[in-house]
Order: sequence, then C-alpha cells, then structure tokens
Amino acid sequence: MYSVIRLLDVVEGDRARVLAVARASAAATAARHQLVEPTLPGVRNGGDILVHLRFDTEGQWRSVETDFAAMLTDPAITRVNGACYSGETSRGAQAGTVYRALLLRVLPGTEAHVVDRFEDELRLMPRYVNTITAWQLSRVEEAVGTSEWTHVFEQEFTDVDGLMGPYLMHPIHWAVIDRWFDPECPDVIVRDRVCHSFCRCDTTVLS
Amino acid sequence: MADGAVFVVDRVVTRPGCARKFVDTYLAEYAPGARDRGMTLRDVLVSPPIWFDDQPNTVTITWSVPSPQAWWEMTWKGRPDSTLGPWWDTIGELVQERTRSVAAAADDVDRLCDV
Repeated sequence: MYSVIRLLDVVEGDRARVLAVARASAAATAARHQLVEPTLPGVRNGGDILVHLRFDTEGQWRSVETDFAAMLTDPAITRVNGACYSGETSRGAQAGTVYRALLLRVLPGTEAHVVDRFEDELRLMPRYVNTITAWQLSRVEEAVGTSEWTHVFEQEFTDVDGLMGPYLMHPIHWAVIDRWFDPECPDVIVRDRVCHSFCRCDTTVLS
Repeated sequence: MADGAVFVVDRVVTRPGCARKFVDTYLAEYAPGARDRGMTLRDVLVSPPIWFDDQPNTVTITWSVPSPQAWWEMTWKGRPDSTLGPWWDTIGELVQERTRSVAAAADDVDRLCDV
C-alpha cells in the first residue's frame, strides 16, 4: 500500500469550508481508503484537518497528485505537514475509532543500527498497549512541511481514552521509547518538533 | 490509572578528578530547575566514595516523581526548555560517559503495567 498524509493548519473561520473541499478532493482521488476529519483536542503540531489516503500503488497517487495538491493552495490553509510512504499494517480483531499519526525526523547522520533499534522499540509498543487495534511504522519517501520527516508511526486506537490513557501511561512509553525523544538523554535521535495528530475514524483506516 | 513512584536515574562516569566539581555543578545548576519541574532528589551517590584526583568516579543521582502522570508533567515542562539539553553539553568536560534511565520499585511494576 502507498499512503499519503497531510496535516492542514486552517484559518478558524474557514475550517468547515476547507473540510468539505478536502473531502471532495480526497474522493476524487479514488484512493482505496480516505480519511478527512477535523483533528481532536490534544493534538500537538497536528494541524486542524487530517487527510489520509491509501492507494494500492504509488502510481495511482502520482496520477492524481497534481489535482489534489491544487486544493492545498487554498489561502485559508496556512501550513501543511505531511508525508508519502509505503508499508503494510498490522492489526488485531478489534476495530478502532481513533486514528493517530506521529510524524518525526531522526537526526541526519544517525547510525543505521541505531535507527534499526529505535524502530524495533517502536514496534514493541502495540505488544504492551492493548488499546492499539492496528498500527504501521513506515519510513518516509517524500516529506512535506516544516521538517524532513523520516518516519510515520500510525495507530488506530479503541477510543480517545485509549490514546490518552494506556498509550501514554504504560512504562513502554515513558521508560523505554521516550528516551529517543528526550534532549536530556544521550540516546536522543529525534530533536525536531514532532507532529502528533489524531482524529475520529468511523471506518478502518489501516488495512 | 496506573500508579506508583517513577525514578529518574542519572548515572555519570566523571572524567578523572572531576567528580566533586561535577556534583557541585549538578546540584547548583541542574537541581533547582529539576525541582521546579516537580522532581524530588532522592540520592547522590559517589562510587567509590573517594574524591579521586586521577581516576573516574561513578556518580548515581536518583530523582523521583509520584506517578507516570507526574513524569509526563515534568517532561512537558522540560521539553520546551531549549537550554536543558545543551546544559549537558556545557558540562561535557567533566563527564566521560553517562546514561539516564527510568525505573520503578519492583512491587509497583505489575500495577504500572496494568493500564
């Protein structure tokens, strides 16, 4: 699968209009999965509208990319962060109701074996956080926005409480994973501000 | 909600002869801000307990916060402070190597993982 994510910062008074336009543009791409939703309270650097598209192939996206990108030139859209990437999802039996995406940039020059270890530890999280119903860790092939994003870590959660509670509070997060993001830890490899964005999802996003 | 104290442990191997200066600097420059972020200083241990002038010492500093929630609140206060990470660089001449780890009492592990 080939995925495209865009986090749109939108002038407050224009959000409903831009949401409708973004939904129409997403529908026009004929992507296999389309998610265009307002972000929920609690996002950090996560935009006001989250757009997520999944295609069977990169070629399908490239054939509609120009038309979709035209929508993003709307003057009410003040900033866009995003990424294009390939990857496959892991999922359990339970359906999620909240989709979350983390965009991050690993410091240039980080040794490959360190990046591998970082990725391995991120992949541990769903084993311990049982409110994650589906997930995908991907290396970014094309970054958009304020940082040269290198990774996208996506999850579906049972609900918002599953994201704000168990995901944050399990020791796998604060005692294992966070050190990669902590400028006080010698292991830090993610220094740029991340995009932590999430929204409601009524249907499966990751599949 | 999971509960139980969370411990933040700095283990620092000082450069030869630098242990006393490292401890003094840490307590004078780092500790006040850490307290402001909600951390409680539990121990500053020096091993071996001799102020060597020609060998490294290992200094183990242990902080605590009352819960994972308090750990996040401490982190959210510290993360936007652009001086915190570089502070460690400013004392690089005193430090040979260091780690920071996060721990809990063995009796609390099951409860902390039951979220």
